[in-house]
Amino acid sequence: MINNFFRHLKEGFFGVGRHGAMSVSSASAVTITLIIVSIFYIFSMNLQKFTKGIEQSVQIAVMISFSHEEQAVMDQIGVDISNIEGVSNVAFHSKEEELQSYIDSLEDDYLKQIIEPYKEDNPMHNAFYVSVSSGEYLQSVANKIKEIEGVDSINYGGDSAVVVVNALKSIRNGGGVLAIALSLLAIFLIQNTIKLTIQARSDEIAIMRNVGARNGFIRTPFLVEGVIIGILGSIIPIMITIYGYIYIYNVTGGMLITNLFKLIPPHPFVLKVSLLLLATGVFVGLIGSFFSVNKYLRWKR
Amino acid sequence: MIELVDVSKRYKNGVNALNKISLKIDQGEFVYIIGPTGSGKSTLIKLLDGEEVPTSGTVNVVGINIGKLKHNKVPLYRRNIGVVFQDFRLLKAKTVFENISYALEVISMKKSIIRHRVRQVMNLVGLDDKGSSFPKELSGGQQQRVAIARAIANKPKILITDEPTGNLDPAMSDEIMALLEKINREEHTTIVMVTHDNNLVDKHKKRTIVLENGHIVADLQKGGYVRHD
Repeated sequence: MINNFFRHLKEGFFGVGRHGAMSVSSASAVTITLIIVSIFYIFSMNLQKFTKGIEQSVQIAVMISFSHEEQAVMDQIGVDISNIEGVSNVAFHSKEEELQSYIDSLEDDYLKQIIEPYKEDNPMHNAFYVSVSSGEYLQSVANKIKEIEGVDSINYGGDSAVVVVNALKSIRNGGGVLAIALSLLAIFLIQNTIKLTIQARSDEIAIMRNVGARNGFIRTPFLVEGVIIGILGSIIPIMITIYGYIYIYNVTGGMLITNLFKLIPPHPFVLKVSLLLLATGVFVGLIGSFFSVNKYLRWKR
Repeated sequence: MIELVDVSKRYKNGVNALNKISLKIDQGEFVYIIGPTGSGKSTLIKLLDGEEVPTSGTVNVVGINIGKLKHNKVPLYRRNIGVVFQDFRLLKAKTVFENISYALEVISMKKSIIRHRVRQVMNLVGLDDKGSSFPKELSGGQQQRVAIARAIANKPKILITDEPTGNLDPAMSDEIMALLEKINREEHTTIVMVTHDNNLVDKHKKRTIVLENGHIVADLQKGGYVRHD
């Protein structure tokens, strides 16, 4: 058994070497596809980060009515909000903080002076700023907060915020669908190339059966070959991914146009992508070989 | 050992290659099968090798009904027989040594025994110095001998050869015949030899089965080439 394992491994390596041209063409197909997969994956992961970031920056401002300003009551309201499904963070801002930050936001010193006296009779509400874990919770969370005793009003950008969140969601979903479609296309392309190279060796497979080799005995070295080709084919895409992404990250300073579009930091992101590419290459090489060999094992009795 | 009962083979394209032939070959026999092109010789070999399934009738070899074998059991059956194909069917990407040893690796023979046996059969067919050559570097006759060496390497009970002397000069043909006779005599291997070579059949007289249009038209125990007018 162990003997056979090493035998198949050796045969697999020999197979790649002795069918050099075919191995190169299969590995090239893997390389080209994986480069495309890599670019697309990096793009969509960043897109996902952007949209998530925007979604999570949408907050619900909850104003506490003046009749519920006792600390114990407000604490209870805070707890009630935290317990709503989809709430990721609740931050309390006292009315003094609210007013101060309003004053700080004014640029006109004259206006600041006018408002200063209001510190004695603060017109601001105590407030909670509520973040949701995902944009889809925005509306339901807002509706539940409204029903809590002591909540005066809430503000979350209303319908327009919901529209933006939904738009971002469909961009993400569209990206996901496209990624899956592209992966299927990649597998198909590589499988086809491997099939062609194995087809050229259908005689070889028939001869092996002629001299009494069982199907499994014939198949295994081809699977090893497929894996080797997958590994060879993923080397260049991994290089491009690592060096290319780090280069882009450094050149852009880690963001696109504004602070809002921050790129994912290269470490450990590129390593994850590289592992993904390697795994895809190996998997596709294995699957492609498996189906192709099986087909030509059936070619003759 | 080999028994065909009412075997017919009709291909999908409508050609009737064999018509209700019955045939019995005993252990240790040496049999020629002769006949013109298209008489069904190749089909007979394919039936014996399990590559084709009879349309009707049964083909029994070493107690196995070959037509009923499952696809994945066919290779196991083939370990009982050695076949030398007209087109040699050597693995192009493997050396002479590896081609012969492959047939032994598939039956999980020990490496040391394989090396010994491969050298033995290479010596038997006179190719001691060609072990590391690839098939394309060899002449037709040499490839023929590699194919024979591979076929007899695991000491099969039956050796089927399709035109084993087709590519050889008369001197070499006699050598191959001497080799086959030796295998037949010393290992008691049943040998079924398909041939066109009239001289050979006349010179080395054996039981001769004559095929024509898918029928057995003669089965001569004494042998000798048969001419029809």
